Amino acid sequence: MAELKRRRRGRKIKKYKPQLYPGPDEVSERRRFAMDASRRLKRFRSIPDDNLVMLLGHRHPGELYLSIHPPLDELVEKYDPVKNIVEPTPGARAGDRIRFILFTDSVYYPPMAPWLRARAYLNRYRGIDTVVYSSRQLLEMRERDLEAVSKELIETNLFDPGRVAIRGLTTHGHSLRLDEDGLMFDARRRYKFDKEIGEVVYIKNAQAEILDMPIPVGRPMSEREARGQDVTYRWDVAPYKSRTEIMSVIARYGTARIIGGYNPELLDEIDPLYGVRYDEIDKIKNNSEKYKNGGGE
Amino acid sequence: MRKEYKVSVYNDEGKEIAENVPIKAFHPLRNPYMREIAWTLKRTAIVNLHKIETMLSEGKAGWTTGTGQNEVQMPWYGFDVDLIGHAEYIADELKKMIQVEKDDDTEIKVIENGQILIVKVPKARLIYAGDYSPTFTSTAVALGQIIARLANLTPLEEPYKLGLLKNVLWGRYPQSVTPQKGNPISLIIKYPSALEGLGTSLKSTIINHIVALVDKRTLWGAALATILEQLSQAEMGNNIGWYENYNLLGSVYQGFNANNMVLDLIKENKSGSVYSVLVSTLERAIEDKIIEVKSNRYPDVQPSGYKLYSPKDFLLWNAYALAGMMAAVIVNVGASRALQSAGAVLSYFSDILAFEAGGLPDGDCGRVMGTALGYTFYTHGVFGGAGPGMFSLDHVLTRHTSGFFNPCIVAAACLDAGTQTFTPEVSSGIYFTIRKHLPEFDRPIEKVAEAAEEIKNEV
Repeated sequence: MAELKRRRRGRKIKKYKPQLYPGPDEVSERRRFAMDASRRLKRFRSIPDDNLVMLLGHRHPGELYLSIHPPLDELVEKYDPVKNIVEPTPGARAGDRIRFILFTDSVYYPPMAPWLRARAYLNRYRGIDTVVYSSRQLLEMRERDLEAVSKELIETNLFDPGRVAIRGLTTHGHSLRLDEDGLMFDARRRYKFDKEIGEVVYIKNAQAEILDMPIPVGRPMSEREARGQDVTYRWDVAPYKSRTEIMSVIARYGTARIIGGYNPELLDEIDPLYGVRYDEIDKIKNNSEKYKNGGGE
Repeated sequence: MRKEYKVSVYNDEGKEIAENVPIKAFHPLRNPYMREIAWTLKRTAIVNLHKIETMLSEGKAGWTTGTGQNEVQMPWYGFDVDLIGHAEYIADELKKMIQVEKDDDTEIKVIENGQILIVKVPKARLIYAGDYSPTFTSTAVALGQIIARLANLTPLEEPYKLGLLKNVLWGRYPQSVTPQKGNPISLIIKYPSALEGLGTSLKSTIINHIVALVDKRTLWGAALATILEQLSQAEMGNNIGWYENYNLLGSVYQGFNANNMVLDLIKENKSGSVYSVLVSTLERAIEDKIIEVKSNRYPDVQPSGYKLYSPKDFLLWNAYALAGMMAAVIVNVGASRALQSAGAVLSYFSDILAFEAGGLPDGDCGRVMGTALGYTFYTHGVFGGAGPGMFSLDHVLTRHTSGFFNPCIVAAACLDAGTQTFTPEVSSGIYFTIRKHLPEFDRPIEKVAEAAEEIKNEV
């Protein structure tokens, strides 16, 4: 930031205020909340570290982290100024393996969605790799970084034990009707609803290997609660018209790409929001002003 | 009349190399350094004498895959011939046979105690050729004759040994489209018969080779990849007319650290995320009056107070967005020191930008984003794919941008601390050695800027 301050010195420039996402309604606000790195996620539940490690299934609790290359401090590297500028994460510094977590989000009142996950991850965390596949969103990081991040993702409002699942394989189920007890369908039966404690318990880890003891991950949200956390637009959550702002941004973006990709110089002539030449817009505006003053020929 | 743009170029340590140079001086067909790179790529063949000697003595040749270099074994046809010991003699003979006129520009260097020869064929062989095949063909034929004479082979007594010799130097070609994978005589770029499209030849080398050629120095890698990409853009006819300034501005800002933008963004966000780089990019664009909110009324300000930014100068905004992409990749990959996340950053940087700035078009108008989505998919092993560094710049998954995708991937590959299955040391070890003897590829940012400075009054 020092560099930016130096450049700003002596000039009156308003600081840029991040906007994150368009839309005036609740759903847009929830999307902004998930993406905004300056806002802390709401903590809903608590998962002990050892349970998390068992759930991920990459190592045993208490086991040392395996490494893929020597720690960066011991690695002999050629001189490169850029490598000395960017700070590596703790996992990268130690040379950890790269491990992953996959989340599947149901389409029925989900607190998160794959495309929003990607944006939230890249806004909130450093040194991450995320890819969307069919019905799942992958997050890859150095092992110890991954464990810290997964803990946050599972303990907070981005996770609903009933409608979001941790699945390393056989991930399908996001678009199927909810299974018994209102849980998302899982072909591997990794989790079930424990009626005695009223929580969802994982009896298999993400890779569908049977766990020594079941791991509770918290109470699933009722449909009413889930509706209050939903990040998708649907008829009973937010009406269609409330998307107008988002739709116009998407349309503007799409048109601008098409025009700019075809002839970069045309963007000075055509308004990407309406897809019409600027001089024609001026004509229309002039006409409408005529009508205001008594109208017509 | 097109607008004139001028930039200053800084090296990767933040030192100014060229001041206020018109971007036309960075046109790949005008810039002397970029022309030299193209010329070197076309005329250079690398001969691995050690490998030829081993293949001949063990009778192994003619395989079809890169990883299975023992598919064909015929030790009973093998014979011993001392090539490394005769390296100087071979170099002299090669020169006599390859040169067209006495004392022309043919160059042959013997390196690594005679294990490797770097052959540069003369202009006279290439200028009247349809493509750059003579670089390979003339070297291979000449070498075949020299080895046959050294080993005293005749077709009456040792026909099969001669057959083996042909297979060692050419693989199964012409049964196959090209010589074998990992042929001991190779070009830095693909063989002309293996090219997949018009004008892709100069960028048909793999990402790991470029990483090795610049000795894993991040911004040098980005610059060299940009040069290759832009040379190809010129060859494809994609930097003409409408696209000329678009390509030149984009490549100068993204690849050559123009106005120190990439380095500034990295320094500002050294412990930041992809999103913080994006915000810094937008801040800088607003500060330099590249983008603006046109008015305070609808539709420029939406009912919720959300602002739609519009580019004042789209070409420059595109260049800023591309520089932001490069910085975002370096910041994210620099944090994890693992190459694989580069594709994810390139695809989602554009996506986040679209909603952050009210539908402002992203770098290269979505082409980088689209290419990156495919690239992430295939580098994450769902359908096999390959290591991220093993793709060539003209691969069907990486070639669809105007030359702005691969420089980011090369920069990321330079930052990788050894997490790939196929690291540059494994796939391109020989290039770490030959880079010391090919000074053309050293310090690309400095050289391209100095070359531009030289011609800035002529363009």
